[in-house]
Amino acid sequence: MSESKKILVLGVGNILFTDEGIGVKVVTDLQKEFSFSPNVTLMDGGTLGTVLMGPIMECDMLIVVDAVLGDGEPGSVYRLTGEDLRRSLAFKDSMHQTDLLDTLVLCDLCDSRPDCVVVGVEPFDYETMCEHVSDTVKAQFPIMKERVLEEVIAAGGSYKTA
Amino acid sequence: MSGCKSKSGPAVMATPFDKNYTGPVTVDPLTRIEGHLKIEVEVENGKVSNVWSSAQLFRGLEIILKGRDPRDAQHFTQRSCGVCTYVHALASTRAVENAIGVDKVLPENAKIIRNLVMGSQYLHDHIVHFYHLHALDWVDVVSGLQADPVKAAKLANSMSSRVTKPEDLKAVQVKLKAFVDSGQLGIFTNAYFLGGHDAYYLKPEENLIATAHYLEGLHLQVKAARAMAVFGAKNPHPQFTIVGGVTCYESLSKERIQEFKDLYNETKKFVDECYIPDLLMVASYYKDWAGIGGTSNFLSFGEFPSVENDIDSRFIPQGVIMNRDLKNVMNFDPASIKEDIKHSWYKGESSLHPYEGETDPQYTSYEDRDRYSWMKAPRYKGESMEVGPLAHVLTAYARGHKDFVPVVNSVLSHLGVGADALFSTLGRTAARGIETTVVANTMSEWVNNLEDNISSGNTDIAVEWDMPDEAEGVGFVGAPRGALSHWIKIKDKKIENFQLVVPSTWNLGPRCNQNKMSAVEEALVGTPIADPKRPVEILRTVHSYDPCIACGVHVIDARTNEVHKFKVM
Repeated sequence: MSESKKILVLGVGNILFTDEGIGVKVVTDLQKEFSFSPNVTLMDGGTLGTVLMGPIMECDMLIVVDAVLGDGEPGSVYRLTGEDLRRSLAFKDSMHQTDLLDTLVLCDLCDSRPDCVVVGVEPFDYETMCEHVSDTVKAQFPIMKERVLEEVIAAGGSYKTA
Repeated sequence: MSGCKSKSGPAVMATPFDKNYTGPVTVDPLTRIEGHLKIEVEVENGKVSNVWSSAQLFRGLEIILKGRDPRDAQHFTQRSCGVCTYVHALASTRAVENAIGVDKVLPENAKIIRNLVMGSQYLHDHIVHFYHLHALDWVDVVSGLQADPVKAAKLANSMSSRVTKPEDLKAVQVKLKAFVDSGQLGIFTNAYFLGGHDAYYLKPEENLIATAHYLEGLHLQVKAARAMAVFGAKNPHPQFTIVGGVTCYESLSKERIQEFKDLYNETKKFVDECYIPDLLMVASYYKDWAGIGGTSNFLSFGEFPSVENDIDSRFIPQGVIMNRDLKNVMNFDPASIKEDIKHSWYKGESSLHPYEGETDPQYTSYEDRDRYSWMKAPRYKGESMEVGPLAHVLTAYARGHKDFVPVVNSVLSHLGVGADALFSTLGRTAARGIETTVVANTMSEWVNNLEDNISSGNTDIAVEWDMPDEAEGVGFVGAPRGALSHWIKIKDKKIENFQLVVPSTWNLGPRCNQNKMSAVEEALVGTPIADPKRPVEILRTVHSYDPCIACGVHVIDARTNEVHKFKVM
């Protein structure tokens, strides 16, 4: 683990659709509450696909925070890596046919695909237009943040309370 | 047109169809678009006879905006879409400025900077559309594996001013083969050329050149996106527009402007050396598509103002063309827009101007053919209109625009077709390239104007203003996807009503109260379908509109590995 390994913490989702925006909100919270070592970047990726290729290709380790549909109860927190991600598909509502997973494939085509881990949470509601997350998911914010911080440390980053 | 040499294309081929299929074809969801769209068609003897364009995502932005501070509108509207975020920020900002009268006193630099960011958005969007969203409808990537790299390099060098080496193309083949062999999902999933397809006409060498530029375009679009961020502070969701101007004081330095120029120049070079020659190469093989996918009426709001509050000062002109009559371009009249809901999932059968717009959802069912879309049906003087690059280019061409006319004429003569060929799917795709090259050519002048202002000591980029108790206003934007308008009514300093009429609603909405089809529905009628199981012809026309159905959700689905297939019933 070199100190210079570049880490990108990317929150993705649509903040107008209740729990859809959880990734963006967790990352925004982390930005407010902590200051990170220079090799760590936090970013609000919104719902974009190919436009995110720039920042993704510049990092060595990508930590994605997003709503994930697994088989768990709403509020379940997941950690997805390599093989889980390759098996996942968010095709139905994908961006440009390049949702985040396809975007990683495109980065691969450009010979600069970073290692990637997803910290996700099972949404309670991702269809209602509302700028606040549900109580079920809100209750999981502390553990989501904790998990993301663990990933940052594991990847060779550090942080302190702001 | 710089960067391309004339080359005569092969003779026109007819789309072969040996299957006189009759019956329904449903494409749901359409991939390589924004959001979620279902296209249902009836096919009779191999040709489309009826169409229903159905948008599956409800956007309730109007509801969520009521009662908020008008200045916040842009932050919500930006999030309604996942790609053209800036255009919504600009439309919302212009709407508020128009309501309170700031558009009359907007600083010159603010206008230029907004134009530069919008110009960069055009370049980025159109390059990504051509190579990454639309090319696979015309280019058989896998066929490129069979190409002779030496022949392909020779061909590439005959079309473009750049030098292409055989070994570069060989390297592309090696990379491509590894990808095809690994069976990775992503870009080749759902591609209709897999296993060969009669409706794909390019030879292996052409397919290889286009594929090489597909890969190069992936790298390049990153830079085009970064150019927007120089002034926009970030991308996605630029944060530099405010009511009264822009906030990017730090971007006025020599270094930052130079950074913008470098990114812009590199993007422009790719447009001249790859995009335009490739567009002409592909078009020369698919001239039968100059007779497929056309519509009748066109609406342009224009874009890139010289004077902020004067819609007639825009570099791309505003205008209305009815029944393909290029001799009579009319001025656009904002009072003539109405939105119908008889065939949409809303209560009632009203036909209202956006200022009076209501959003009262009432879903029926997925199978309903009477009410079948979350989109309203916008109409201009009761007619359905096509918006987007083709409307921009036709309006500019018909008005004798000095920058557009020569480029349009050079494309038409290169392909050996007349102006009537513009009214088609091929014309729509060509118009996007024409618009890209014209905008790219003129942007350097805007940068010079900005530099001159700054060096003469004019660094104003924002003005002060007061929010009135009551006001109404509209922001018209000629976005890369076409006519976008945001309409705001302010009462007690808060948003009382906010309506968005977005380009894809014009192009891809449902029928209206008079049962007239939308642009895409009209365009698809008569389309030949060679293979109802792989209806690439439908995708060609739908994708030519660069649909953006307001992104709704973006969750990662870890439960399934199923690629949705369209159904043939």
